[in-house]
Amino acid sequence: MKRREFFAAASSLMLPVMLDGVGVRSFAKGSAMVESLRQTSALNNDRILVIVYLGGGNDGLNTVIPLEYYSEYNQLRSNIAIPESSVLKLAGNLETGFHPAMTGMRAMYDEGKLAIVHSVSYPNPNLSHHRSTDIWMTGVDSSQYASSGWAGRYLDDRFPSYPQNYPNGEMEDPLAVQIGQITATALLGPQQSMGITLQDPATFYQLIGEPNTTIDSNLPCCDAGDLINYIRQQQVLTIGFGSEIKKAAEAGVNLAAYPPASQNNELAEKLKIVARLIHGGLKSKIYYVELGGFDTHAEQVGTSSTEGLHAQLLKKLSDGIAAFQNDLKLQGTENKVLGMTFSDFGRRATSNASKGTDHGIGAPMFVFGTGIKRQLVGNNPDLINGLLPLTPTANNTNRDIKMQIDFRRVYADILNDWFGSAASKTDQFLFSNFNTTSLFSDFVQSISSGSWINPEIWSNGRVPDAGSTIKINPGHIVEVGHNITAKNVKVEQGGELKFLGDYNVNITG
Amino acid sequence: MAYLDTYTNLLTSATAAHLLRRATFGPTRQEIIDFTGKTAQQAVELLISNAALGVSVAPPVEMDETRSDAGQPFLNKPFDHSRSGVYNNYIQYWWLGLMTEQKGRPSVLEKLTAFWQNHFVTAHTIVEDYRFVDRYIRFLRANALGNFKDLAIGITKDPAMLVFQNGFQNTKELPNENYGRELQELFTVGQKDFAGNNNYTEEDVKAAARVLTGWQVTNRNNIGSTSFGSTFNPVRHDISDKSFSEKYNNTVITGRSGESAGDGELLDLVNMLLAHPETPKFICRKLYRWYVNPNVTQEIEDQVIIPLATFFASPANNYAIMPVVKKLLSSNIFFDTRNIGAIVKSPAELVIGTIRFFDQPVPDLTTEFVPFRVMMNYIYFSLRLLEQNFLDQPSVFGFVPYYQTGYSKNWINGTTLGLRGVRTDALSNPGPVIKPDYVLGIDILKELRTIQPNFEDVAGTSAITCEQVLQRFTANLFAIELSQAQQDFLIDQIMMKGSSPRATWQHEWNAYRSTPQDETKQNVIFWRCRALLKYILRMAEFQLF
Repeated sequence: MKRREFFAAASSLMLPVMLDGVGVRSFAKGSAMVESLRQTSALNNDRILVIVYLGGGNDGLNTVIPLEYYSEYNQLRSNIAIPESSVLKLAGNLETGFHPAMTGMRAMYDEGKLAIVHSVSYPNPNLSHHRSTDIWMTGVDSSQYASSGWAGRYLDDRFPSYPQNYPNGEMEDPLAVQIGQITATALLGPQQSMGITLQDPATFYQLIGEPNTTIDSNLPCCDAGDLINYIRQQQVLTIGFGSEIKKAAEAGVNLAAYPPASQNNELAEKLKIVARLIHGGLKSKIYYVELGGFDTHAEQVGTSSTEGLHAQLLKKLSDGIAAFQNDLKLQGTENKVLGMTFSDFGRRATSNASKGTDHGIGAPMFVFGTGIKRQLVGNNPDLINGLLPLTPTANNTNRDIKMQIDFRRVYADILNDWFGSAASKTDQFLFSNFNTTSLFSDFVQSISSGSWINPEIWSNGRVPDAGSTIKINPGHIVEVGHNITAKNVKVEQGGELKFLGDYNVNITG
Repeated sequence: MAYLDTYTNLLTSATAAHLLRRATFGPTRQEIIDFTGKTAQQAVELLISNAALGVSVAPPVEMDETRSDAGQPFLNKPFDHSRSGVYNNYIQYWWLGLMTEQKGRPSVLEKLTAFWQNHFVTAHTIVEDYRFVDRYIRFLRANALGNFKDLAIGITKDPAMLVFQNGFQNTKELPNENYGRELQELFTVGQKDFAGNNNYTEEDVKAAARVLTGWQVTNRNNIGSTSFGSTFNPVRHDISDKSFSEKYNNTVITGRSGESAGDGELLDLVNMLLAHPETPKFICRKLYRWYVNPNVTQEIEDQVIIPLATFFASPANNYAIMPVVKKLLSSNIFFDTRNIGAIVKSPAELVIGTIRFFDQPVPDLTTEFVPFRVMMNYIYFSLRLLEQNFLDQPSVFGFVPYYQTGYSKNWINGTTLGLRGVRTDALSNPGPVIKPDYVLGIDILKELRTIQPNFEDVAGTSAITCEQVLQRFTANLFAIELSQAQQDFLIDQIMMKGSSPRATWQHEWNAYRSTPQDETKQNVIFWRCRALLKYILRMAEFQLF
């Protein structure tokens, strides 16, 4: 191909795109203005969140197994129960174990890099896949609707008026990157997606070609005009971000071993790309990946309950996340990356006759990375007194797992403590104020008045132990009916420890 | 102007093209000509009556020419497990062929069947048995224009659906709620009404599951079996009464026993679901989003959805589908300017629509099964790559852009824009070889020769102009007509590469006319027109319909 022909062909790949008369490359990369902006950049906070969505509703009770209630567990789901001897034991935690396929995540737990948040859900749970996933992604009450996602609202606030004039000197990379196909609601901003979606950085760049500017910014009326505008913006952004992504993908290296291709671990493949982009210096704040197939109404176990569909899925999850974490460690990027998993909802405690489980309520979330300060939020679901409905009727033997932790408390901690968002902003993103879970905090605090031994009054959903540093918040009266041992107890002004008898506080810190 | 009243203007080429784009997977240029000048009512009646011609079609055949049974139908043979994956693909090819064929009799059938297939979803990767998949899609095609009640009853007992939604594992001892939920949430009443109130309760899900206990499938994946189907097993059926919430006026479905219990209770259940005031609205809203505009405002809800739903469920109509489709497609609101170009094309509308528009013929399934396979394989992989694999949706909700916030916008992101472009680029260049004398792709020279009068009379008849070339390729191609500035840009910057005056084209074209066998002369024509076509088919405007 002749040179002239080449240029012509290359430019013909481009589309008539222009935003407010500003070409996407108007901030040339090496320009003085851009350089000065970069040096004084407000974005030196380089923390990253990786969201892992388990599509279909993960069966929590076969993922995180409550060993302390093993016989009740076995009774509820004898056709799919994991044998007690096969459950993976956790360091320093006798009450809880992992599915035998989760060796990688068990090792992360033992190293202090993985937290379990027990029985996460929201009030008045909705058991439709679509609606419940939407509630999780948009971060609303089950009676509310929002068309933007929780992460999208955060990014929209942090990078105002995106996508006009992005990429620019201040933020030259996509705000969020989804490895996959159709963009997830969690990343939707008030107007549109705050991220870009790609399958693979190499082909992505080939697909989009080179930028071009042109002519006609007029739009037809009505919805057609909105759609054309939207598609043109996607074209501009894609082209604008394409080279940055390519550069990061080329500069980044995977240093850890990932599961071999023969295992078809699609989650691991996606996380591998994420690790490469992070290592390559992409400044995107949020990455989003999915692993589907968790809607296990039938045959979630095989001939043996430690094999089958669910075991394969958990192996993919655990192997993928463990390889990713190891990669970050070897790259030296470990301390700036936090990961979390979520799913549509949990599944019923009682199994069905098809060796499966129907849609249910509470299920564990995992939060992982070196940034976590505690590994347990909430307790194992109480399989003796804590199942729903509280008093089953004769023809309703189907039991469910009660919520302990509202998922938005975890979101609030991530926004406040991980990203450093102002508390008032976080409340705005989540439409309400949510109590902390102390996931990123050294101390446990009271979140309401009540008896010391009631886990619900403590931010981490657990009764404090001898190693806890405790803060009693103003307005909270905590009643003490026994001797207490703790590392430290601080009673804020207006808070109160009310002793119901002659009991001691033994401070060990 | 009442929105649902019949549109009375005669169809222009633009409105005829709009109707055909929405009612089918995209028109050929001849079809647009054929429909121009008709009334909307005549046009829609023809699209509906043509559907009857398509209901009975030749079955799929073995398309592997290296096999001894090549060219023979396989669905009438004993079950062959080793060919399961391939036969499922052949069934998909067979249907894609029907969507793409151009026999000059465009009909609503395949687009409407696709609507139902994306409504009553099953996926062959879960169903597995290809005979189940075949029965399922034939059932939807046969009833696409029929009665919604028949569809709801039939699909509940359909073997593919019983497998896909675990209905065949639903027993009185341990009910499996999967289908009982989706039947309400996705197939009939919908989860919420337009204002966001729940249409049913969790207890209703459990009660519906109990009504549906006892259904089973026979001979699934059973090697060598010659029959299969669904049966009702009274032993597995819950014979107690099933009480529903106030959302269903506290209906109690009387528990029954014996062989007829399954059908009897199912009929009661479907009658109850169809008596719910939200059911006709849910279906009509979804049809509106499919055919007219995904954006349903309060005004549209009040002026279109509610009256159409009232008509759908009225005693006189009694859930007949055809009159509803007819009313909607011939209504004022359907032809309203605000709804032209108001949807992003799905991959099928993009890929099949472009193939149809540029007259790429479909080889005969029975007599030319190898070329047929090659072409459908190409379409199949294009759609699969762009996340629209019919008969194998990602979940029971169907394809994401038909339900997620943003609706059809969800088809578009950085990766899919690139992939869409790659697929349309392939049509501006010679694409895959379908058979020795048929290469998929726009035949540029043939296209242009049809608009050049007296091709050989170079001296006496002037050459076609750039404007005529652009007109040939773009007339009725876009839902939204290009502005003059865009047309000038396409001619001067793309076709003439920003470097030559328009008159240069006529010299080049005449040079080709003088020596049409001269490859260097041909190449100049290709060079300009391929760049033009590539650009046009990548424009944001072309992504809409």
